[in-house]
Amino acid sequence: MSEIMVQMSGITMDFGAVRALENVSLSVKQGHIHALVGENGAGKTTLMRILYGAIQPTEGSVQIGGEEKHFRSQDEAIHAGVGMVSQHYSIIPELTQLDNLMVGAEPGWLIPRAAAKTRADELAQRMGFEFEWDALSEGIGPAQAQKLEILKLLWRDSQIMILDEPTAMLTPADSDLLYGKLRELANAGATVIVVTHRLPEVMEYCDEVTVLRSGQLIGSKVVSETNSAELAEMIVGHAIEFQKPDKFDAGEVVLSVSGLSVKGDRGDEAVKSASFELRAGEFVGLAGVDGNGQRELFLNLMGLQPTLGGGITLDEVDITRHSTSERLLNGMRLIPEDRHEEAVIEDWSIEENGILGLQRSGSVKSGMAINGSAKAAIAERITTLFPTKFDHVHQRFGALSGGNQQKVVNARAFEGNPRVILAFQPTRGIDIKVSELVFQKLRAFARSGGAVVMVNFDVDDLIEHCDRILVINHGEVFEPRPEESHDRAAIGRLMVGAQ
Amino acid sequence: MNWKLILLTLGAFILIWVAFLVTGVSTVEGLQQMVKGSMGSARGWTGTLREMTPLLLLGIAVFVGLRAGLFNIGADGQFNIGALCGVFVALNYQGPGAIIVALLAGCVGGALWAWPAGLIKAHRGGHEVITTIMLNNLAFFLTLALVKGPLKDPNAQSPTSANVADAAFLPYIFESGNIKISLGWVFGIVAVIGLWTWLKKTVSGYELEATGANPKAAETAGVKTKAVTVRAMLLSGMIAGFAGAIQVLAFEHRFYSGFSPGYGFDALGVALLAGNSPIGLLPSSLLFSVISKGVTSVSLLGVPKGMNGILIGLVVIVFAAMRYRKAVKNDG
Repeated sequence: MSEIMVQMSGITMDFGAVRALENVSLSVKQGHIHALVGENGAGKTTLMRILYGAIQPTEGSVQIGGEEKHFRSQDEAIHAGVGMVSQHYSIIPELTQLDNLMVGAEPGWLIPRAAAKTRADELAQRMGFEFEWDALSEGIGPAQAQKLEILKLLWRDSQIMILDEPTAMLTPADSDLLYGKLRELANAGATVIVVTHRLPEVMEYCDEVTVLRSGQLIGSKVVSETNSAELAEMIVGHAIEFQKPDKFDAGEVVLSVSGLSVKGDRGDEAVKSASFELRAGEFVGLAGVDGNGQRELFLNLMGLQPTLGGGITLDEVDITRHSTSERLLNGMRLIPEDRHEEAVIEDWSIEENGILGLQRSGSVKSGMAINGSAKAAIAERITTLFPTKFDHVHQRFGALSGGNQQKVVNARAFEGNPRVILAFQPTRGIDIKVSELVFQKLRAFARSGGAVVMVNFDVDDLIEHCDRILVINHGEVFEPRPEESHDRAAIGRLMVGAQ
Repeated sequence: MNWKLILLTLGAFILIWVAFLVTGVSTVEGLQQMVKGSMGSARGWTGTLREMTPLLLLGIAVFVGLRAGLFNIGADGQFNIGALCGVFVALNYQGPGAIIVALLAGCVGGALWAWPAGLIKAHRGGHEVITTIMLNNLAFFLTLALVKGPLKDPNAQSPTSANVADAAFLPYIFESGNIKISLGWVFGIVAVIGLWTWLKKTVSGYELEATGANPKAAETAGVKTKAVTVRAMLLSGMIAGFAGAIQVLAFEHRFYSGFSPGYGFDALGVALLAGNSPIGLLPSSLLFSVISKGVTSVSLLGVPKGMNGILIGLVVIVFAAMRYRKAVKNDG
């Protein structure tokens, strides 16, 4: 009954002198959820962009439903029933949710709003989603944005749905829900392709899996006939060893937060009287559903979000009223949530971005001037700490791929003798092997006498790597009982406020 | 795929041809006369460099603002205020260092005139384009009222101040035959190099550019972006005021109604054309002054001065189109 819906054969893609894909084939059956896995730069997204008509392959053919297609644009792909949700959602905050649903696929020159809304409601109901169609889209969370993106595909009658890293920003519960819905769609005849590097998801929810490595097809498997270990080996080319946290003795208190309340962007109390301590050597995880105050807590610790009450001490010095600049000088570091907006200036070079945030630190600033050799040395270190693909440090930062950008931003946080690193999703968009390295470096930094707090929406990552896990729910910070400190279920209960 | 650009340039030439046709002058003759009048003789060069001085200094003023993310449309007003302050001091103080004091007065006047726009932008979010346009109008009418009233030269018919004393003339640093190069022009060149060094080599210059490029990232990196915004506006106004005082001391020697023929607005084009580096201000201000001086000389053939605006407008449009194409390419 399952017919091949998508058949890509002999796809080769050259970008100038760089060969991104070489003779790759992919076949996906109708009604299946097909996972496409591989490391960063393996060519997953490139392959999907070809299927979606965003780029044209150098060689090879694409067949949809047995018919050869040569898409010259995304429009043509959309007309042929192919839809894609990219990693960065394309929700326009200034438009209403209904407008976002329709944008690019409006019913006609005049928009019959009532009819449009009826159809929108039908689609939402079919999926069990809820939307306020007339409300503006600003401030909708990632889970809701994801749902809206999926509805956009349905609105366009897409039969083939491509989702690029769909769970990157979702909580475990939302991820489960998402895959549940995808299964319903697949059962109803849709063909779903998921680009991911989370193997547990592949094992649990997908029917088939195709592995790419360095632009080459490594193989396709039926999920029920393989296992994580085999897949991991196919992805990286050799078996990976996961390192367990070592035993250690926590040292003196580095950062102490007591009764801290933080004002949110909407004037609400985003963090409510939070108290916790970080000791030298500790790698602490902060679990929680996205939007429960993690962002505001981190920003406040950096002096970027107004304080309503309480205090913070760093190495026994009260820094509650210190400016961001002073906190940076005293060793506070932030790996921000929003890389594009908060962490870097994409039009600048890698080298210039390397000293962003360190421009007043002792090694970089000499008198009024920027020390050129220190700047060059930092650029050298932050591009080599984690294996980064780049041409030269004077190239535009925005020209790096997302994962490589994140690596450089992560590496920068280790510069200039930090005391505390606040890491918001530091492995976002980074493949398993390098993610492992990021966790290792964070832990090593802590063990050398610093402290780390990491927000990660993948609870398994926290359980696996952190010494201690705090949970934030509706702005309140809890710590699980010691005997349940690494208990997935206990943490999950705290995350949703069920004690 | 550059045919669009070629078409655009071709279109610009056709417009120039039509513009000359309307004035009844042969295009070839007109363009020849323009080049000859601006760059073909010592006298032509003297005029071109004189024209270049305010355009370059004001271009620097606007450029500083742009790097900090501010569009200072108010350079013309700050220029007028700076010139008036320079005249006032030069007329009333003839002691030692009169020139320096008058230049400083110009700087202070221009900076003060830009200050409110900086404060409103930083602390209330009011857009600097609106506020500086308003301040331009205020500057225009305030200076007009002053040269019609208290500052008016009693011996003159038209609204103008008295001439400043010869001792307050800014000297030429090079004078030979018909070639004269003012110290003011040299200040412009030095300021460009200084600005380049400051932006590329110092922490405060780095923080200013960060604020302009991505204020949120700058904030996260510990930059006090509000203070930087106010300071950038002050600096921009200060340079514009300095340009006004230079214009008085080097060339005009008095202030009169209609003192600025719109230099502050041409400077917007100069700064935009310069691209990302202050060094670009040198060729762009030169180009503007060649066009401006060339049109002045071609006006002897009966071409109206408005040709200046047409030519500069076309240059800016063609260039903006080129940059836009590049920006689109960069974004993939």
